[in-house]
Amino acid sequence: MKKKTKITLKSYLWSSPSLLLIGLIVVFPIFYTAYISMTNMNVYHWFDYTVIGFDNYFKALFMFDSGFLSALLATIIWTLVNMILQLVIAYVLATLLNNPKLKLRRFYKTLLMFPWAMPGYVSILLWKTGMFNTEFGLLNQLMTKLGLATYHWLSNDLSAFICCTIVNLWLALPFMIMIIDGAMQSIDKSYYEVAKLEGANWIQRAYYVTVPTIKPIIAPAVIITIFTTFKQFDVVYLLTQQAGSKTGSGFHTILTFAYENAFIASNYGYSSAISIIIFILLIVFSATFKLKEEGDR
Amino acid sequence: MTKKPKEIVGQVFLNIFFIVLCFITLVPILYALSVSFSNQNGLLSSDFSFIPKDFTFANYKEVLFGEDIMTWFGNTILLAVATVGLSLTVAVPAAYCFSRRRFPGRKAIIKCLILLNSFPAILSMFAIYRLLRPLGLINNRLGLIIVYVGTMSVFSLWNTKGYFDTIPTALEESAQIDGANTFQIVIKIVLPLARPSIIVTALMVLIYVWNEYIYATTFMTGEKTYTLAAGLNSLQATEMQGSWPVFAAASIVVSLPVLIIFFLCQKYMTSGLTAGGVKG
Repeated sequence: MKKKTKITLKSYLWSSPSLLLIGLIVVFPIFYTAYISMTNMNVYHWFDYTVIGFDNYFKALFMFDSGFLSALLATIIWTLVNMILQLVIAYVLATLLNNPKLKLRRFYKTLLMFPWAMPGYVSILLWKTGMFNTEFGLLNQLMTKLGLATYHWLSNDLSAFICCTIVNLWLALPFMIMIIDGAMQSIDKSYYEVAKLEGANWIQRAYYVTVPTIKPIIAPAVIITIFTTFKQFDVVYLLTQQAGSKTGSGFHTILTFAYENAFIASNYGYSSAISIIIFILLIVFSATFKLKEEGDR
Repeated sequence: MTKKPKEIVGQVFLNIFFIVLCFITLVPILYALSVSFSNQNGLLSSDFSFIPKDFTFANYKEVLFGEDIMTWFGNTILLAVATVGLSLTVAVPAAYCFSRRRFPGRKAIIKCLILLNSFPAILSMFAIYRLLRPLGLINNRLGLIIVYVGTMSVFSLWNTKGYFDTIPTALEESAQIDGANTFQIVIKIVLPLARPSIIVTALMVLIYVWNEYIYATTFMTGEKTYTLAAGLNSLQATEMQGSWPVFAAASIVVSLPVLIIFFLCQKYMTSGLTAGGVKG
């Protein structure tokens, strides 16, 4: 009995620096944000803010013109479009890379890994200036060469959405190709031989052998990617919403929307309420995924 | 035998496809590389090529010998070393306790950590600002280090704990019988065995610090205290200002260390990224 207490105390003592830091930087902000979300703190009420209850939540969830619901909808579309494109393209490329006749596969793979290896914000800024910029951007140089008018790629919602998607795919595809490629290599080759003997064509082989076999292997990575896509901030913020050099696009993910409301509009109460809603959404998602995963076992 | 010509054609097409694909993928990087070696004036002419015109090292000279960037580089190294060191110092004992000891609250804490960690770090910024300002830790390197270590601490704890769990305890038990204390066991037996996970954790923290720009620009004001990421952010060339060739050269310089680390440790990367949040 006494020994057990000693172990408990010692364990907590040794873990305390880590737990203390987590408490300060991870846990405290959540509770503080939850508290601020109940107040009217904003640029006019910096110190004399008062508790106003659930008004901010009401504004976010039921007043359509407050912008949160449209940002949420845009984020869901963004996640769907990105995930579908990512999985399909990565699957096709991984299949081609796994062609036994491809002798230079290691070489191609290394080159294709570059976007993943580069620091993310550097790549995004390079895309912004090197590709989309009206003056030095390659796209506009190409347009000029073809005799077309230059175009502000990032200035309207739809084209900003497409540009962000392209950059996000560019950044995320190498990881997905890697994961699917690794999973494909773990498939026993004899399955394919049997399938071939049975007369299955390549679509049937993909549908009945490859996809079911790699599905459980790639599932964790895919789930993580769904979350990072849903929580995407850097691509959208750096390309279109940077303070001081906004491009005029209205496309927001929920994270850039929350950021904008806090740090540009100084509407802290409202922004905090959005943060808590996002947090609840994320928890519900991960709980659903976890239940599903346990159900599959 | 009759199949052969068709196969060769297929192979050629496959290789052409991949060469084109790799080229398209690398265009943004190649363009930046070419611009970084170009003379400023050469850029305005509209014929574009991937071979730099008016070849010059002037942009790199400006990046490497301009005072600011070297200061930013120093700041980043300082922050990165301190954050990685502190992260491991804090995470390893905690991970060892959570992996080897059984005590009340252990499971609850682990579950809570995973749950709470899904709160996006960027949304914590305002609260952390309010916490650190009264303590005088805004515009202070120590403040930024605390933020970085704290943000990465759930990952560090989780990642090292997960790996400790896979190490059999038999060695430790026999060392204990030989009279080694816990501290010796951790240093001499567990850590050497856990080297891959320690490396991955350190790398992830390092890359995080290297790439983080939002906290670095919000919490540190004044160009002297910028990190590379924050500084590069301020160097950006827009339509109105800034020099695109210098920015391109700076981007290449900032990316090189990360690229080198990445390709040296590539085999650890995939596992390091997926191990974190999954084994719940």
